[in-house]
Formats: sequence, structure tokens, C-alpha cells
Amino acid sequence: MNKNYLDIIRSSKPAQFGILLIIFLFLYHFIPQNEGNYFWRLPSLLAFIPIKLNEIIYAALYEWFPLKVYDPIFEMYEEKAAFREFTKSISKGLLFLITFVRELLLGGDKIIDIFVSDAWLKENDWMSWPALPWTAATVGAFLLGYQLGGFRLALLGGIGSLYVSIFGNWVPSIQTLSFVLITTPICFVLGLSFGIWGYLDKKVETALQPVLNVMQTMPQFAYLVPIIALFGLGDHAGSIATIVIATPPMIRNTILGLKRISPEVVEAGLMSGCTKRQLLFKVLIPTARRDILNGVNTVIMQCLAMVVIASFVGAKGLGLNLKVALNSLKIGKAAEAGFCIVLIAVILDRFTKAWANKQVDYFENLTFFERYKLLIIFGTSILIFSVVAFIANGYFDKINYLYVIPIEKGLTFAHYIDAAVDWVWDTFFYSLNSFNKFLLTQVLGPMKKAYLGMPVAATLTLTMGIAYIIGGIRTCLLVGGMMLFIAMSKYWDRALITMYMATFAVIMASLNGIIVGSIFAQTQRGSKFILSVCDFFETFPSFVYLIPVIFLFNITDTSVLIAAIVYATVPATRYTVWGLNSVPTSLHEAGTMSGVSRMQRWTNIEIPLAFPTIMLGVNQTVVFTLQMVILGALIGTEDLGQLIFGALSRAQDGPGVAITLGLFVSLMAISVDVIVRKWAEERKKALGLD
Amino acid sequence: MKKLLSLFYTLVLLAGLSTVAKAADPIRIPVLNWSSQIVMANVMAQAFEELGYEAELVPAESATRYEAVRVGELHVAHETWESTMALPFYAAMDKGGLIDAGSHDLITFEEMGVPNWVIEEGLCPGLPSWEALKSPECAANFATPDSEGKGRWLEGPYEWHTEVMPNRLKGLGIDDLWMVKFAGTADALWAELEAAKKEGRGTIIFNWSPNFTDAAGFTFIDFPPYFEGCRLENGGTLETTGCGSPKGWLKKAAHIKFPITHTSAYKFYTKMEFTAPNIGEMANYVDNEGMTHAEAATAYIANNRDQIDLFMK
Amino acid sequence: MSPTISCSSVYKIFGNNAQTLLSESGGNVDAKKFQEAGCIVGVNNASFDVNQGEMLVVMGLSGSGKSTLLRCISRLTDATSGKILIDGEDICLMNSKQLIELRREKMGMVFQNFALLPHKTVLENIAFPLQVKGVTTENSIHKALEMVELVGLKGRENYFPRELSGGQQQRVGIARSLAVEPDIWFLDEPFSALDPLIRKEMQDEFLRLQSVLNKTIMFVTHDFDEALRLADRIAIMKDGIIEQLDKPDNIVLNPATDYVRKFTEDVPREKVLKIESIMDASDPNASGEIAVKKDDIIETVAEKILNSKDTIKVVDEKNSVVGSINPSKVIKVLFGE
Repeated sequence: MNKNYLDIIRSSKPAQFGILLIIFLFLYHFIPQNEGNYFWRLPSLLAFIPIKLNEIIYAALYEWFPLKVYDPIFEMYEEKAAFREFTKSISKGLLFLITFVRELLLGGDKIIDIFVSDAWLKENDWMSWPALPWTAATVGAFLLGYQLGGFRLALLGGIGSLYVSIFGNWVPSIQTLSFVLITTPICFVLGLSFGIWGYLDKKVETALQPVLNVMQTMPQFAYLVPIIALFGLGDHAGSIATIVIATPPMIRNTILGLKRISPEVVEAGLMSGCTKRQLLFKVLIPTARRDILNGVNTVIMQCLAMVVIASFVGAKGLGLNLKVALNSLKIGKAAEAGFCIVLIAVILDRFTKAWANKQVDYFENLTFFERYKLLIIFGTSILIFSVVAFIANGYFDKINYLYVIPIEKGLTFAHYIDAAVDWVWDTFFYSLNSFNKFLLTQVLGPMKKAYLGMPVAATLTLTMGIAYIIGGIRTCLLVGGMMLFIAMSKYWDRALITMYMATFAVIMASLNGIIVGSIFAQTQRGSKFILSVCDFFETFPSFVYLIPVIFLFNITDTSVLIAAIVYATVPATRYTVWGLNSVPTSLHEAGTMSGVSRMQRWTNIEIPLAFPTIMLGVNQTVVFTLQMVILGALIGTEDLGQLIFGALSRAQDGPGVAITLGLFVSLMAISVDVIVRKWAEERKKALGLD
Repeated sequence: MKKLLSLFYTLVLLAGLSTVAKAADPIRIPVLNWSSQIVMANVMAQAFEELGYEAELVPAESATRYEAVRVGELHVAHETWESTMALPFYAAMDKGGLIDAGSHDLITFEEMGVPNWVIEEGLCPGLPSWEALKSPECAANFATPDSEGKGRWLEGPYEWHTEVMPNRLKGLGIDDLWMVKFAGTADALWAELEAAKKEGRGTIIFNWSPNFTDAAGFTFIDFPPYFEGCRLENGGTLETTGCGSPKGWLKKAAHIKFPITHTSAYKFYTKMEFTAPNIGEMANYVDNEGMTHAEAATAYIANNRDQIDLFMK
Repeated sequence: MSPTISCSSVYKIFGNNAQTLLSESGGNVDAKKFQEAGCIVGVNNASFDVNQGEMLVVMGLSGSGKSTLLRCISRLTDATSGKILIDGEDICLMNSKQLIELRREKMGMVFQNFALLPHKTVLENIAFPLQVKGVTTENSIHKALEMVELVGLKGRENYFPRELSGGQQQRVGIARSLAVEPDIWFLDEPFSALDPLIRKEMQDEFLRLQSVLNKTIMFVTHDFDEALRLADRIAIMKDGIIEQLDKPDNIVLNPATDYVRKFTEDVPREKVLKIESIMDASDPNASGEIAVKKDDIIETVAEKILNSKDTIKVVDEKNSVVGSINPSKVIKVLFGE
């Protein structure tokens, strides 16, 4: 009889979860809540970590491998750490590249200045690269689009740059574009190189995984101070911060793509007589192109999503304008800048895809003029528009609208957005207010209390138990180790608040995503539509809705959570659509033939089959949510995020604290990731997918 | 294409190796996210250029810029408020690399207060005296759903004054009626003020003077007077820690090498002492007259030529 | 003349300590023992030659080591031990430069799942081996056009592989493998992924090509019928060992092992055997009007023979009489003893 029960427990996961829950509740109830009780809170044995980390960072900055550097102004040798000199030279190179692209389009003399003396430049003030008139640039974008992908892309490029120009965002857009145009290829090259390395060497891949996980999940604000210290302030620093977060998906996609290549294709390349180089560049990389392009797409999206944060460390452009607009509560103005960011993302994405898919025509037999038709048109239009603009110099007294339309003089629809925000505010305020009250007092308040009232022993038992049931002993130890690491710092209570907010937002966002995704995934057109909406929200800077949510929900946890839910619904929706679309049509048909209703088909066939994919979406939702909950510190929170932001201004121990806390956030995300991935894999296996 | 690329590489390489003598690096001035600060940065940039320097405006963050000044990434930090920025300012100075380049010609005051309609509507009779806060009816008018029935004080970010406000509530003996909520940023404070204004509801928030963002219609609460060492963290007692805020300075910080590398610019910088009306004028050009920050700076210099000339002497 | 491909005692053993285990065994490899030691035997002591212009079909079920053998000879994988001579040179001793040179000049290979480069058009795929070699774009495209015509894909030069049917894709694969005009042609189950009807068509096409090109061929298949149809000689493999290597008719008539017999049992002999294998060579002076060629498959001439009452003479390519055949022998083959 006894043995029977054991068997049931051994074979039934629900039973195991049930028992785990009972143990958890038991611990929750009976462990006394007093300091000094190690079952209630662990001692902060790891409190030294932030301090040590800080020492290491500063040692790297100022002490390690000192070099004697001659200072021509002070006429003496100074000791400077090699590492910082190294990072400084990287900064110099990056800044040069960004400035180069920027001046190519906007004009200026900074690049020339590098090569000639100040005095000479002053005497020869004609020595300045001329600005490209926005009219010519629009023609250029149109032609480039045409060359790459025909009339549709031409329209996209042309209308896009026309919009940006006449709405007065030309200069900041080019600043942002130059930032992205340099950062994306760097991420691409780095990602591709590491991806190839990881593909060739299994050990490297294994070593890369945890590093990539941390890079992708660490809140960006946690490493802004070290970046300033190492790389300084400016566009290059923003670029570095972006590279940290945008390279990992590129690496992952490269490895994934290369691994998916059938061995036969490799052999075919070898038998064609490829050298190693040829095999890599002519066979492997092009064959993995789909996944690599997905990686590039992600890199572009990430670069543009990072534009605002990059402006915290000195990047100019739309991000900075957006931030300044938000400070004076000009939501419309900020949203306009946000739209430009999305527009740039869309154009870059479509253009790179078209470029990668471009076909060579071997049979064309063109005259010189035909071959260089577009370039000639472009050159002519630059000439014409420059001359026109130059002549117009006499006509306009202050601002030459034919070169650049400045932001205050451009068209604007900001007041419509402001009016819309006001309308939402006026219309929904009272109902939202009572909703907010209910949520805070009935749901969030008690939930927060419950989380904070959790003895550490109970929390660890629960998380490790779930990990054990789903993934076995290794997963259990891994997750346990990560949680223990957080629990033994003095920030456990803060971490609990972060967890409470994240849990709530993840549940809500996942539900939203699954429902919205399911509705739109019913038709192909719906799927396409909702996926582009997802693209929009992923690149539209989330900073923009931090302020309106304060209008609606005050400075409370609700505001933070609403912002987080809006942002984190994106991946849940996206993956739901992907998952549902990948359900084979034969199963739809089989379902229909067995006479199930649409609802039954959804619950009994589609959702279970799409479940593993949806779970991966939930995984992403966790990462997105944590990012936004941490960003919620800009509204006002009492969790890890508040301390991470606080640490920005603390030179003494700031960097160490920020990175440690950032790491905690990473570890939370990774714990969930480990469990969910395992679960999804198992479900996939059980369903016979893949 | 290949030729173009190799030309480009050569250019990059040349840039790295370039040893053309430069008189001095461009002076790097931080640009933060509020108008008066950005216009002042532009005024300085234009003045420095007049003095023969190059100037560069660098987007920065108010919290991180002292570290940037300390390591020499920025040459100046020209708007340093005592109450909110003194901590990172002095921390950077202690670590070495940042120097104090004097103060502007104005007195700052940063304190908890209420929008005027709060007084007009009688939401808390007796304001602006802090004694009014002792009334439970008053506190109830400032409660929010997450304040557990207490009235809410909306403080600035925690790192601005850490425990000062919670301690003050304890010192005044009203911590059973009021609680402190920390906003994340100045932006969040303005959003709250805007929201409260629209709804006409009561709010007690942290604000400062001169404030060029929302100058009109705000009243600071009168707390017991400040004196040296009244606060708990400066050696005060629970009885004295209810004291209000001190009058403060608006300082200018500079990188330690700035006086040597850009001598006459530094001289200008130390002499540059703007008054509250000056700074108000700068903000006004942008916020109300719709100029760009650079135009506003030009307009300001044109309008106050004597003052700038005086700084330049 | 020396054989084009010559293998002697080729072993391929997968596993960490394959080399030591093999040298310990002294060439006497027992697959079971190796498996216990964590090694899997791919090819076990293969020795054979392939002559210039000959087509050797390696036949075996999956896991028999036939593809591994092919990959050892093309050195896509390194043999654990043994000698593999290509035109007298040991391919196992070549450095990567020599190997690349060899592949660029002498070898072509066709793959089961086509292994086309998805980002290249038909034309680019075919021109690829040439371009890798350094042939100019213009010349390589020109040559590729010729190949397109040879395999009958004219009009689809600019299609991408994903836009073609399986049979068409394999035509591209064949054209690609032939683009450098190799002497040695490897085909790894080239028709297995195709529909039966298409497969037949491609086999015919293949025979047509071979009759024109006359390459030295190693052809791997798991389909015994296909092997019989195409091969000059067949090597039947099982568990890495070549069970029998012989001409198709000999295999059918005299299976060396029980394993081989299983394949041959159901094979209709008249479809495989040539007249030569049942003729009476001792009687070259047979008279009669009617003659059959010694290379004719029995089935194709059975009617002719059965319709005549007499012994029929058998002639060779040059029409000189080499033997005679009695209808009763044909009846035996057709209907058994």
C-alpha cells in the first residue's frame, strides 16, 4: 500500500508539486520571523562582494600595469594604468568612426581637424565638409531603397527621410543613425566571430553561455559608471553600452545557424575544393544566413532600443532629445522622437534584409550610364539641391530651410499626442483611480507583504523544489546556488520586492500576450499585423510611457507594473503567434474533422502544441519585465532598481554595488530561464516536436 | 568598393597615429536634461570659443557627471545644487581629481512644500506652518492607496538626502501620520505635480528654489529652523532632527587640471557667477519663447554683454 | 595500367582510443569487442581497386559503413588506418593544400540531400567549384551554362534551389559535381531522396551521362535493384565489412554469404543476367540465322531466343561468334529448375 503511494508521487508531477506546496506553506507558517534566525534570513556573509568588486574595478582603472605616459602640458611623466589607456584608444577609434559617418551627412570639420593643426584650420575656414541638404538625402534614401528592393523600399526610404526632415528631426536622426551604423557592424562582426569560434570549439560555446546570459539580462544601468570610467562620456561610450547588450543575440544566432547547417553542405563545400577560409565565408556563413540575418535584425532593434540609455553616457541624437523633452513633460515631443527611432529601425531592417537577398544578374549588358544610373541621379541631385540651397542662403535670413529644418521649426503633431494623453487622462482618470486603489490595497499590497514575509528557508525550498521536479538535481543545485548567492547578501529584502513586482508583471504580461497572440494568430494577416505591432513596441522607447503612467497611476508600484506589462507583453505575444503558426495544418484539419469547436481546438490542440514555444516567450517576458521593473526606479520603487540608480552617484562604492545588484537581477532571470527552458524541452520531447 | 574600403582603413589608421599638435583639447561641458542647465552650458561654450578655445557639449547624467569630471572626461560641472548633489560632489573631491571652482551668486533653497491650491482649498488648514501637519484630518487628505492610511510625502530620489526626511518625520513626532515615498527622478516629481494640479488634489512634494521648471504657485512648508548639526546624521538628536533645510549654494565644479590646461577659460569659469534672474532668463528663452538652446545662449549673451565681459576680464 | 582508386586494408573506427585499439587488435577487428570499448567500427579492412572508367557501386543497408567508406576515399573523414591510393598517390598522406588541389582538379561528389547552397542560384551553385578554384566569374558562368544544358535545366538558371523539385535539385548537384570535369565521380545515394518514378528517370539520365563522360565512379546506394542496374561491379557491405565484391551477375548467381543471398533471392535473374553468363562458350561454331549479343540482358532477348527452336549463336561487339545458347537454358533461368 505504502509503496503504491510512493509510486504515484514518483510518477506524477502534479503530486510532487502538491507536496512541495505543502512543505512550503508549512515552512512559511512555522518559521518565526525574527532577526538572528537563519531560517528567516541568512546572515550577509557575502556583503564584502560589492566592496571587493569596487576595489577591483578601480585597481584596473588606476593601478594595474602602470605605464609611464608623457604629459606634454605638464611636461612630466604620469603613471597611467595600461587597461584604461587601452580602453581610451578604443574610445578614440569608435568616436572617429561615428563622427566620420555623422560629418559625412551633416557636414563639419572635426574629421579634418584630426589631421591638420588648429591654426591652419582657422586660417582656412573653407576647409569644412559641406552638409548634405535634406532634400538630396531624401532622394538618396529613395534611390538606395530602389536599388535594394524596388519601388516599395524606395517609398519607405523616401517617405521615411522626408518625414524625419520636415518634422525637424533630421539632425538628431542622423546623429542616432551614425551611432547605429557604426555600432551595428561592430556587434555583427563581434557576434559573428564569437559565434564561429563557439561553433568550432565546443568548450568555447560552453564557456560563452553563462557570460552571454549575464550580458543579456544585466540591467544596463548597472554598468554605466564603469563604462564612463573606462571609456568616458560620448557617443562611443553609448556605443560600448549597446555592444554589451546587442552582441549576445548575434552570437547565439550565429551558433544556432551554423549548427543547423546539414553536414552534407559542409562536405559539398569541401569537395568543391574550398580552403578553410572559403568554406567559412562562402559556404557556412551564407548558408546560415537566415539565422544570422535574424541576429542582425535583433542587433538593429537592440541598438535603437538602447538609444535613450546611451544618452545617459553621452550619446547625442534622438535619445537625448527624448530625455530632455520628458523632463519638461512634453510627452508629444518625446513620442515624436520615439517614432523617428522606430522609423529608422524599420528602414534599416528592411534595407539590410533586401541587401542580403540581392541577386546578381550575369546576363545584363549595360552601358556605363545604365550601370551607374542611380549614382548619377544621386550625384546630380546633390549638386542641384546644394546649389539651390546655397543660393537660398541669401533668401532666408537666419535658417536655411533647404539645408536643415530645425526641430522647433519643423512640422509637429506633438500637440495631438498631448491632447490624446489628456483625453485618456480626463476620460479614464476616475475609473482608473479606483482600479488603482483596488489593485494596490487588495492585490499588490498583500502580495508584497506575503513576499516580504517569506522565510528564506521557505523561498529556497520552493525554488529549488520546482527546479528539482522539472529539471532534476543539477538544475536544482544551479538554481539553489544562484538564489543562495542573493540571499547571503544584505539585499535579500530588496530582491524580494523585485521578485514580487516581476512575478505580477510576468503573469499579467504572459496572459495578455497569450490571449492577444491567440486572437491574431487565427489568420495569417492577423499574425503579420500583430508581429509588426510587436516590432513597433520593441523599438519604441519605453521611457516615453514612464511619464504618462505617473499621470494615470501616480507614483506607485502600479505605474511601474503597467509600464512593465506593456513592454513585456511584446515577447509573450510574439512567441504565441510563432508557436500557433507552427502548429501543422494537418492537425487543424484533424481537429476540424473530429468536430471540435474553435474554442476546443484552441484549448485542446493549438495551445498544448504551441506550449513549448510560448514558454520560451514567457522566458523572454521575464527578461523584459525585470528590465522594466529596474527602470521603474525612474518612477520610484523600493527594490534593487532604486539602489542601482542610487549607486550611479556614489563614486566611493557605486560601481561595485551597481554591478553586484545588476548581477542579482541577472541571476533571477537566469534561474527562471534554466527552469523554463528545461520544461519547454521536455514538453517538446513529449509532444514529439523538433 | 574594395578600394574605397582600404582608403577608409588608411584614414582610420592615420587618425589613430595623427600627432598634429593641438593647442588644447576641446573643453567638455556636460548637458543635462533641464533647460537652464543646457542654456548655461551653451553660454559657456560660446564664451569659451570667444576666448579661443574649442568647446564640446556632452550629454551627461546629473548623478554620474562628478565621476566624469574626476577622471577628466568632463572639464566642468556648472550647476551643482547643495542639497541634492553635495554628496557625489564631495565624494568625488575626496577621491581626488575634482576641484571647487566657486559658487553662483544666488541662494538655493530646497524643501518640502505644497502647490498653492492645497492651501487655497483648505486641504490642510494652518499651512505653511509645519504644525498643521499634526492634524490627522490633514494627513488623511494626502493619503494614497499604498500609504496605508498615512499622508504621503513625496521626496526626491533616495540618494539625494537618504534618511533625512524619514528622520525628520520621527523628529517632529508625526511619523504615525505621515510616510515618505521616494520618487525616482526629478521628472517623476514634475509629473506628480502636473497630475496633482490637473486633479486639484493635495500633494506634498520636494521642490526647490529657484526652480525654473515650475516657478509659480508653490509654497514651502515652514519647519523648525535649521542649524549646524541639527540633523541626526550630522550628530543631532531625535529632538533636533525635525529641523528644516538650510539655505544652500549653487556650486561649480572643475577637473583638477582644468586651470592649467585651459587657464583663461578657468579664470572665466571661476568668475562666472550667475544670479537667479539670470538663470531664469536663460530658461525663459527656451521654455516660453521657443528658441533652441544655442539660440537662447546667443540671445542671453547679447542681452547681457556687460556681465559676460566682466567674467572675461 | 594502375587502378584509379586503390584501397588496401582500410579501417575507419570511431571513438576516442580507436588508434590504440586497432593497433592492439593487429587488424583483426571484432565489432562487438570494439563496441564494448566504446568504439564503433565504420569500415573494417576494406581492400579493392577501381579501374579507370569503371563504375563501382557500394551497396549496403544503413549503418553498413558504405557512406563512411566513400568519405574515407574522398578524405572527408580520415581513415584510421590503411592505404588509399588515387592515381598512385596516397590520399591519407596528403597535406590540406594537396588535398584541396586534388579535389579541385580530380574529384566531384553528389549528395543524397543535394547539399546545394541555398543562397546561390542554379547557375551560381554550378559555378561554385570553379569560382572557388579562382576561375573568373565570366568563365565560370559560361562553363556553368554548358553544364545546365548538359543536365537539362535550361531556362532555370536563375532559380534558387528552394524553387526547384527534388529531381531538378539533384540535377543541379550533378552539374555542380561535373563542372570541374573531374576524373573521379563520387555519388552518395544520389537518388534515394527522390520519388520512385523520378528515380528511374534519373538513373536513365545518369547512364546516359556516364556513356558520354566515361568517368571513374564510386556510387553508394542502399537499393540493390539500382546497384544491379548501374554497376560494373558491386561491393556489398555489412557492418563495415565488404561481404562480396563482384560483377552483378556473379553476385546473383553465386552469392558469397548468406547475407548476400538474402538480397539476391528475390531478384528476377533474367533482369540481371547477361547472355554471357549462361552461354556455352565451348561451342563457338554454332550455326543459325539469329544471333544475340553476349552483353544483352536475358529478359530483353528471351522472346527472340524462345521463338527459335535451335541453338542460337552469341556474338561480341565485333560480331564475331563467341559461343552459343540453347533455349532450354533460358527457360531454366526464367522458370527455375
